Amino acid sequence: MPAPVLRVDRATRRFGELVAVDGASLTLEAGAVSAIVGENGAGKSTLLKLCAGVLAPSSGRVLIGDADLAPATMAEASRRGVGLVHQHFMLVGAFRAIENVVLGAEPVRSGGRLDLATATARVRELMTASGLPVPLDAITDDLTVGERQRLEILRVLYRGARVLLLDEPTAVLSPLEAEELYGTLRRLAAEGRAVAVVTHRLDEVVRFADRVTVMRRGRVVHEAELRLEGGGRRPAAGLEEELTRAIMGGDPPPPFAPPAFAEGAAVALAVAGLRLGDGAGRTLLDGVDLEVRAGEIVGVAGVEGNGQRELVRALAGLEPRAEGTVTVAGQRLDPRARDAVRARRSVLAVVHEDRHEDGLMLEASVADNLVIGDLGDPRSIAFDEAAVVARRLGRFHVDPADPARLAGELSGGNQQKLVVARALDRLLSARATGAAVLAQPTRGVDVGAAAAIHAAIGEAAAAGLGVLVVSADLAELRRLAHRLVVMRRGRIVATLPPTASEAEIGRAMLGVEAA
Amino acid sequence: MISSRAARNALGLVFALAGVVLVLNLVAFAFGQAPAATLRRVVEGTWGTPYGIGQVLFKASPLLLTGLAFEVALRTGLFNIGAEGQLALASLVGGAYAAKLPAGTPWPVAVLSALVVAALVGALVALPPAIMRARLGVHEIITGIMMNRVVDVIVPWALTVVVGSSSLRTGDIAPGAAMMRLERVVPSFSGSAASAAFPLAVAAVYATHALLGRTRVGRELRFLGLNAEACRAEGVAVPRRLAQAMLISGAIAGLGMTSTVLGYKGYYELGLGAGAGFSGIAVAMLGRGSATGLVLAALLFGTLEQAGLAINARVPKEAMNLLEAVVIVLVAVAAHASRAPAATAASPASTSAPEAST
Amino acid sequence: MSAVFSLTMVAETLRISAPYACAAAGGVWAERSGVIQIGLEGVLLTSAFTSVAVAHATGSAALGVVAGVIAGAAISVGHGLLVEKARVDAVVSGIALNLSAMAGTRLALRGLYGSASNSPAIEGFRFGPTGSAGWSLLARVFADPVTLLAIAAVVATPFVLARTRLGLRVRAAGENPVAAAAVGVDVTRVRLSALAISGAVCALGGVHLAFDQHRFESGMSNGRGFIALAAVVVSGWRAGRAAMACLAFGALEALQIVLQDQARKGSLGDLVQLLPYVATLLVLAFAAGRSAAPKGLGKPAEE
Repeated sequence: MPAPVLRVDRATRRFGELVAVDGASLTLEAGAVSAIVGENGAGKSTLLKLCAGVLAPSSGRVLIGDADLAPATMAEASRRGVGLVHQHFMLVGAFRAIENVVLGAEPVRSGGRLDLATATARVRELMTASGLPVPLDAITDDLTVGERQRLEILRVLYRGARVLLLDEPTAVLSPLEAEELYGTLRRLAAEGRAVAVVTHRLDEVVRFADRVTVMRRGRVVHEAELRLEGGGRRPAAGLEEELTRAIMGGDPPPPFAPPAFAEGAAVALAVAGLRLGDGAGRTLLDGVDLEVRAGEIVGVAGVEGNGQRELVRALAGLEPRAEGTVTVAGQRLDPRARDAVRARRSVLAVVHEDRHEDGLMLEASVADNLVIGDLGDPRSIAFDEAAVVARRLGRFHVDPADPARLAGELSGGNQQKLVVARALDRLLSARATGAAVLAQPTRGVDVGAAAAIHAAIGEAAAAGLGVLVVSADLAELRRLAHRLVVMRRGRIVATLPPTASEAEIGRAMLGVEAA
Repeated sequence: MISSRAARNALGLVFALAGVVLVLNLVAFAFGQAPAATLRRVVEGTWGTPYGIGQVLFKASPLLLTGLAFEVALRTGLFNIGAEGQLALASLVGGAYAAKLPAGTPWPVAVLSALVVAALVGALVALPPAIMRARLGVHEIITGIMMNRVVDVIVPWALTVVVGSSSLRTGDIAPGAAMMRLERVVPSFSGSAASAAFPLAVAAVYATHALLGRTRVGRELRFLGLNAEACRAEGVAVPRRLAQAMLISGAIAGLGMTSTVLGYKGYYELGLGAGAGFSGIAVAMLGRGSATGLVLAALLFGTLEQAGLAINARVPKEAMNLLEAVVIVLVAVAAHASRAPAATAASPASTSAPEAST
Repeated sequence: MSAVFSLTMVAETLRISAPYACAAAGGVWAERSGVIQIGLEGVLLTSAFTSVAVAHATGSAALGVVAGVIAGAAISVGHGLLVEKARVDAVVSGIALNLSAMAGTRLALRGLYGSASNSPAIEGFRFGPTGSAGWSLLARVFADPVTLLAIAAVVATPFVLARTRLGLRVRAAGENPVAAAAVGVDVTRVRLSALAISGAVCALGGVHLAFDQHRFESGMSNGRGFIALAAVVVSGWRAGRAAMACLAFGALEALQIVLQDQARKGSLGDLVQLLPYVATLLVLAFAAGRSAAPKGLGKPAEE
């Protein structure tokens, strides 16, 4: 049994009222790849940040080798050989790759001059040894996502890391890259390093990890050794189910039954040949074709960054450069129309993926937030604002139902209810034809709010809207939707029934054609 | 029961006043004057006599409008640093226009049309930053500074070449365009330059606040300042509103010439009203988004400027400009210390609450 | 015509450009580190006054230079402290810096010398041959220690930014302060260092201005700080190009002097001064969307 390289001992981390990590313990050993899994908000990333000194524990200890991580800072953790690869890359886009590697640990000659030649030579050695090729003289912004991730890992290795922590490293990778990444991680572990990976993909855990830690609501609820004594691996059979149960907390959530849907219903939302470039030559949407019928709930699955966000923005009328046709309730929508967003709102309800970025004014009242774009609406000359606000608050059980409260004072779940209420009520209280598009409708919200939002989505469909739901949470989509479509590289690559196995959907998401 | 907001505002004011008194004492001391005597002279020259009060009101008049101008923009998330140039060119053109009016022009026509001209010119100077921000996304600070400099070059050139004056001033305005002096209503203001421009500016502050709070345009401007992306996603015409906010701000800044050109000198000369645009920024920040706060802040700054004149014989009046800078900084520090929502475009309100992001 | 291509012209261009170029290099240092600095005008004034005051008081020109540079660095760091530590809006702090420099130098003029307009004359540096044109003028420019320091600082700026550890960290702080902090760079410290350098380099321009006139005059920076700011923006925040822009503007101004523009007052000639500002507006309008500004300009290191 190798000695533990890094140990977390009953650590707790609070953010105000919220307990993100609650008395969690974790041991990382040299030579092993550990996986940490759990639902959104289970505390995985926070635990990783405690290990890397990014955050200090509110109570409990983090030990590197035999000694406490003190002070609990990133610099100290880095000095003692712990390196973190962030989920959102921490790279300076305008820098050359090599500059990003050395930043913060620069080799210098006399007079503080950078010695990039020496650094380049060392990094080239590391690249060969670890199998992580990166064009070192290229501008970082021009690198592919996979290259940027390798760059982040190289940077950590350059600092001599013996403990390698990676937060959702495969969320942005293509399947081939993901597989290569695990090959590299295995090799780095074999050289005597400890590796920990936070992920939400159980298939990866089953295939590549030596052990797995399951977190739920900040606590470690389950641990399993996947590498058996004598070198074998635990058979995959039953393992994914075991982990899923642990992640969910035993009882599966009350089954959400999507309302009955008549096959022959009219088309509510039709998208044909929808294309969008980023203006710099990259294609974001590459000819999306899609139909949603009245009363139907269609789920959009896919690895994040494959055009889902752009699809929602284009549907909402926020991308004037989008080409192709979008038809809602028989009405063709022109992306270049004056006030395109407003013009299509009588038939289309949209919830964007980031409620803080695109949805709410946290420093304004709940009432103002519920009517941001409704002021001076010509359809309601007698626009009774107070009545509309009261209706929207009541319909979605926003708690507290106080219109004067600041939106920023509400919980994440109730903030999300505001955004969903605003979008759906506008359509449902008017004439209930058209379509609703919801991106990540329950991201980062508690179970209760998620259930309320799911119920609202069901009601919208039952009332006759065509509903498109984009979510990174595959389980949510399978519960919610009548039909799943899979997006990859800006196009729809598969249409599947919600009963399709997770593995089958996953293969389509990753573009593995064998399915 | 005092609300925490009121308490915070009071704290900022106390903070600023303490700084003012401290620096004033230091400066007075450096110039070999007894601080107490200087302070007494300040009080006597400002709020101690009816004349002093009249002068304070006069000095506060343009600040009410430049402060209001800055606030309208800031509420929308825009930083109108260009009020200085907007006011200067509006003063010149408004003054030149009023000077061209026939002597017998009835006062409603003369005053109103001169105000319209000043507002239009103010808006015109704000137009390049407005369009560049709204349509091209170019930050309004650098364009505002550039427009200030452009006006700085144009005004003396226009006075000599276009107006053809060797003394760098316009002709006298038509009698009908002159603002009534307040001394005609309150005789004890006699000799001070306070004019009807002061009550008009105060009315403009309250009226604008009422409109901003109740009309669709006003509310959408505020929404924009709080989260422009959410407004865009919800169908608010963001570029149009941004441009409107900047133009309204420029027009209001242009109106700042009422008290100086129409109410005081009766003509425009180079440098008249200079500095009011920058002081307006501090006035707006000290006012903290309320109409009454803005009026009080303008009065404070008017007092400082008048106090500068009152002590000028012994302590240079530049001391008061230094005090203005001190107030600006102290107000900004106090604003941060009390964690007031600062919706400036330079720091978009990225208020991401700490969540357990996994 | 020969006057245009004369040594006099070269010498005048260098002499006139120096304050602009120093201020622009100072602006590049501040803004590449991520701190908006519209207070260059105030730094120029403060350093010009301080150098004259100290040179006058001590009789030592060298001490005057040192004092001017220290004063410039100090108020620049003050700006940095307000912005980074007290979280005052950088534009507000910059305006306050300009206002207080303007008022403070006037106040000090009256307090120290009893004059509202200018200081008594100082000796400054007088090296090189006498004569007001051609070789002697050029030789004098190159014999002037302040000019040489200014040239050295301006030329060194792009190299230090590109090739040294400090330069790398300054650029990282300006481009992506969160990422820089994530690899252990102390962004606040780096920014304050950059502002100290910014103030010192800009101050050389102020000292040059004052020593060139052999006295301080109220408001003698006369908008040079803003022209430098324009040069920084137009050059896309690149030190080398900003220096070139300043040199071009200096040449234009020198041209006016060399040609003894008779019809200056009251003609279109005055409008030449609009050039840097209008050029900046045009460049911003046409380069919109692909802004070259440092991505982390005005952004704090933490959320």
